[in-house]
Amino acid sequence: MITWSDFIYFALPSVLLWIGGALASFRQRRALALGFSAIGLVVFSAFIALLWTSLERPPLRTMGETRLWYSAFLSLAGIVIYSRWRYRWVLSFSTVLSIVFICVNIFKPEIHNKTLMPALQSPWFAPHVIIYMFCYALFGVATLIAIYTLVKRGTLEAADNMVYVGLSMMTVAMLFGALWAKEAWGHYWAWDPKETWAAATWLLYLSYIHQRLARPKQTRIAAWLLIVCFCCLQMCWWGINYLPTAQGNSVHTYNIN
Amino acid sequence: MWHQPWTYKEGIAVAAGLIVVGLLLQFCVGSINWDLVEWPVNIIMLCCYVATLATAFSLRKKSYVIRWCMSYNAAVPALLISGIATVGYGITCIRETLSFWPFVLLYVWLTTIAGLSCIKLIAERRSLGAILCHAGFFLAVTCATLGSADMQKLRMQISSDSPEWRALDDAGNIHELDIALELNHFTIDEYPPKLVVIDNATGKALPQGKSESIVLEDSVTEGQLLDYQIKVSHVYDYAAQVSSPDSVNYVAWAYNGATSAALVEVSKNGKSPIAVGWVSNGSYMFPYKALRLSANHSLVMPERDPKRYVSNVNVYTKSGIKKEGVEIEVNKPLKIEGWNIYQLSYDERMGRWSSTSVVELVNDPWLPAVYVGIYMLLAGAVVMFFTINHKRKQQ
Repeated sequence: MITWSDFIYFALPSVLLWIGGALASFRQRRALALGFSAIGLVVFSAFIALLWTSLERPPLRTMGETRLWYSAFLSLAGIVIYSRWRYRWVLSFSTVLSIVFICVNIFKPEIHNKTLMPALQSPWFAPHVIIYMFCYALFGVATLIAIYTLVKRGTLEAADNMVYVGLSMMTVAMLFGALWAKEAWGHYWAWDPKETWAAATWLLYLSYIHQRLARPKQTRIAAWLLIVCFCCLQMCWWGINYLPTAQGNSVHTYNIN
Repeated sequence: MWHQPWTYKEGIAVAAGLIVVGLLLQFCVGSINWDLVEWPVNIIMLCCYVATLATAFSLRKKSYVIRWCMSYNAAVPALLISGIATVGYGITCIRETLSFWPFVLLYVWLTTIAGLSCIKLIAERRSLGAILCHAGFFLAVTCATLGSADMQKLRMQISSDSPEWRALDDAGNIHELDIALELNHFTIDEYPPKLVVIDNATGKALPQGKSESIVLEDSVTEGQLLDYQIKVSHVYDYAAQVSSPDSVNYVAWAYNGATSAALVEVSKNGKSPIAVGWVSNGSYMFPYKALRLSANHSLVMPERDPKRYVSNVNVYTKSGIKKEGVEIEVNKPLKIEGWNIYQLSYDERMGRWSSTSVVELVNDPWLPAVYVGIYMLLAGAVVMFFTINHKRKQQ
């Protein structure tokens, strides 16, 4: 039986492998970089898989559990982007972000409850959250590129790719959520705080894409817009848990013990 | 401003103007009452709206404004300001989004741009992904909004005494339906009981913020909470409390009102037991029972977490359909004659022994149209996902 106390034994080797991969990518050792990163991801995913079997439910309910997926998908996104576009910096970006979330899970674990309430027992549950986590990871990398662009005056081409893919996935995840809500709560869209923030985030990322198509040369405005979008995304993901007006108002709160 | 070519500035001005007009309308006439657009008003409105958009598109060569409406210069500010307005809603968390004028006007503006752009994309035979996304968005938003007037949402309390065919709406009005429900039995499946150490003063589970528990599954006979070693010698899922003047005991008893109970022995640092006794979470019939461990700590059994709520019902309709022993549970609504019937609630005082169940009946005749929109948007997102690299390479 695997529990959260075993997390460190999986997280530490993964982090070391990912750091190795990031260093190798800077030295242009492509095969080594991909190999290290991939093995790190396998080790990390093994923890998710074992936790899944030991909890007897998908580990997607608490914030701690979604952070686990976020770290894994950041690494996966890094590997895919590196192998596809060969940006040297991308593996270090994804590694740094993954480490941040792993540290949060180690030092500030949330309630790790085994039970899964009836509303979450649905085939829609896993795809809805997993696709969201993957697109959050892509948007995280895109935001780092935007900051890099603002500091070093680079281009946003790589960020555009990630936002395109991320926004397609976000649309799918959001609509899966709507179809699920119809089955679980009787209506596909109820302007629940989480839904409102999801809609706002979606519209803002749409405005980014249209802005890039309209004025591809206005890089700085677009980079700032991308950062604003990501802040909105953070509100949607966990910020609303701390928003006074959303307290007790959201049907999307599953953390309460 | 307002000199051709129009840019973002004009787009921002239009959106800001709509917010001002919306606020004025909100103060003058109050919130929008969507009930006024009940069938067939809503379908007429939708047809007029689409016809207006088509006419506008046909006049695009004569009118600069219409051409501008189909441009990024209109779309980007509209998306941005709708996004920001939605953030405003997110912060204030007002639920009546759809009845607030400024918000509705902004969304109408956004849908108008999406609709016009969609016609343009089709006319210019542009990429399938873009067409599906714009059309799907337009269809889903317009049909969901206009269709909300025709949606019926009712609550019905059912019991095993007799079939029920009356239901209440949110305002408390009684509606007689062509469908009747009779409860055979209501059940709650629960997760196994748990043991938790609490702080006697605050009642909070310990360690605070990341409380630990022992789940009393079949195989569990011992565990550790804080620095207490806990041995479990008996667990009853269904038990009755038997009290004598000097002790409280529990016996197996699987009838209405039963509670869960466990007999435990608690020791500290491997020494002899500091407390032995029963712990129970109680029911409507029996009180809960905690075990005091020290001046600060007690061992308790919290209420069991629900796993599944199920109403087993018989359904009868005026058209002669009769279904017996149908199960309605969370995430598995019953669909019959245009109604979706959801498990909503039960008699919470009675807990798992509730003899009544509350179901919600929803009838949304516009749902198929909204679903077509949602599936088009979904398909559009998938097509976009697979054509992004290809398209960007060409660029």
